[in-house]
Amino acid sequence: MLRPFALHRPATVAEASEILAQQGRDAALYAGGTELLLILKEGLLRVKSLVDIKRLPGLAGIRADNGHLLIGAAATHRAVEHAPEVHARCPLIARVARHVANVRVRSVGTVGGNLAFADPHSDLATAFLLFDATVRLAAQAGERELALGDFVVGPYETSRRDEEILTSVRLTPWPAGTVGAYVKYGLHERPTLGVAVALTVAGGAVRGARIAVGCVGPRPQRLAGAEARLGGWSLADVERRAGEVGAEAAAAVDAVDDLHGSAEYKRDMTRVFVRRALLVAAARSAGRESHERHPHTVVV
Amino acid sequence: MRVERDLDVAAPPERLWAALWDVPRMVACLPGCAEAREVEPQKRYEAHMSQRVGPISLSVPMQVTIADVVSPHSLALEAKGRDGSLGASVAMSVRLAVAPRDGGSRLRVEAEGKILGKLGALGHGVIQRRAEELIDEFGLRLKRAVEG
Amino acid sequence: MSAIPIRSSSSVRCIVNGRPVALEVRPEALLLDVLRDRLQLKGARRSCDMQVCGACTVLVDGAPVSACTYLAVEVDGREVTTVEGLADGDRLHPLQEAFIDHGAVQCGFCTAGMLLTAKALLAEDPSPTPERVAEYLRGSLCRCTGYRKILDAILACATPKAAAR
Repeated sequence: MLRPFALHRPATVAEASEILAQQGRDAALYAGGTELLLILKEGLLRVKSLVDIKRLPGLAGIRADNGHLLIGAAATHRAVEHAPEVHARCPLIARVARHVANVRVRSVGTVGGNLAFADPHSDLATAFLLFDATVRLAAQAGERELALGDFVVGPYETSRRDEEILTSVRLTPWPAGTVGAYVKYGLHERPTLGVAVALTVAGGAVRGARIAVGCVGPRPQRLAGAEARLGGWSLADVERRAGEVGAEAAAAVDAVDDLHGSAEYKRDMTRVFVRRALLVAAARSAGRESHERHPHTVVV
Repeated sequence: MRVERDLDVAAPPERLWAALWDVPRMVACLPGCAEAREVEPQKRYEAHMSQRVGPISLSVPMQVTIADVVSPHSLALEAKGRDGSLGASVAMSVRLAVAPRDGGSRLRVEAEGKILGKLGALGHGVIQRRAEELIDEFGLRLKRAVEG
Repeated sequence: MSAIPIRSSSSVRCIVNGRPVALEVRPEALLLDVLRDRLQLKGARRSCDMQVCGACTVLVDGAPVSACTYLAVEVDGREVTTVEGLADGDRLHPLQEAFIDHGAVQCGFCTAGMLLTAKALLAEDPSPTPERVAEYLRGSLCRCTGYRKILDAILACATPKAAAR
């Protein structure tokens, strides 16, 4: 049972922002509702109004934009999974979207809702970090764009102001010769750990590496030290020494205790899964698909 | 949830000890704390705690009982409260110990707490981190208040 | 779309199991309650109440949703399919037949959700691999069968790969 609320269906972003500005914390943004309705049902959040933004013009669009990929905040996980633009520019994201939560959540849950709710146990934000994602926030007063890493502040907390609406996410596709992998592990509905890696290989050597780890700490993290270690390695080096990068990632990652496990456990799983993800990416880079499988693990 | 901190303060232990019993000052040092009052000196206090975790606000009237005092060195307190609308109960045990150190003093904070109810299901991680931030901010403000 | 907020009841017109339905629903009404209590369609069940188990699965325009966490006003202008809409009169849907033939039904509590999820999968991918079926059923929980028989029943309804081409 939900407590009564008024449902607003503004026609423009400006109108939505106006309602948010007037009502402050008595109003909540609503799109797919897969997170919001849960906390409303639990009584953890009480609001007088929902502001439905999923029908705002253009908000659910997915398109190429000046070499980037622009995903509208109201695009569902399912839309991302199937969009040709995503397959063409950021194929890893299409594969990650296909494994978010379950098919029912993917049908209605939105990319913007996922990021703005900022549940630390989420897949998208982690994978987006590998594409140097930026988010666009709009209000009556104007718009601003900020790096995803600056948007997600901590568990359930973002730098979105009350009157602002997350309208889109912009991803920068990888340079040629880059392959990626996302490996997630967990026994519960939400992942215990998600590791996203990408290797840019040219002339047989790693020219750039990207590693992001999610669910382990208060927010997803890029691990620059571990990334740097891979510089100049051959694919054979990666296969032989991926464990060193895993150890470096484990040492650097910000881990917290939670219902999925202790910080120590999550740190150790970071070590294990960064190595595994790198092996998958290295195999792909060499033109092979790794068939390594592990219990409770999804490799995309 | 357990948080331990050592805080070095450039003020004599007596001044730090006195500050711990100064209700308005303590309220000002604890983020989210308001409307504190002394019910029975050095025994019972009341305070209102408000915290936000993302979209969720917690608002708890707390009953504070001083369990043990070794004046002017240490005190132990128990704080309990319940947010009726969220259905969340908060219970905390805090031990504060003051000792001389390098011409100033050191405050040791040992806090252990539990949040029961649906909010607890948000995950230990969120609460632990928030508690750490809270106590660190408390330390900073207390240091500023006592040293200033 | 309207700038006037919906505060009390609003009128929702939709197709439920092939039949047009018009209802007045409050903005906070959940689809599951409307289906069960107003339309007497008891196939979708409230179990976890948090989108984890799949017992309340219904299809909205062919896509599986958790009716327990879905506002009823959202189905305005859309088509809703519940398990009651699968059979054609006395003739069971091929998936229902397959579930019976393969012993994929035990206590039956998850069955409605399993059937509808399977229907959506086969509409999207008529020849799924066993891995794809398992992947698609993630979040559809069954405490009795161990899933093997459910998988077998769904695969039995798949179009053979060669025929699909």
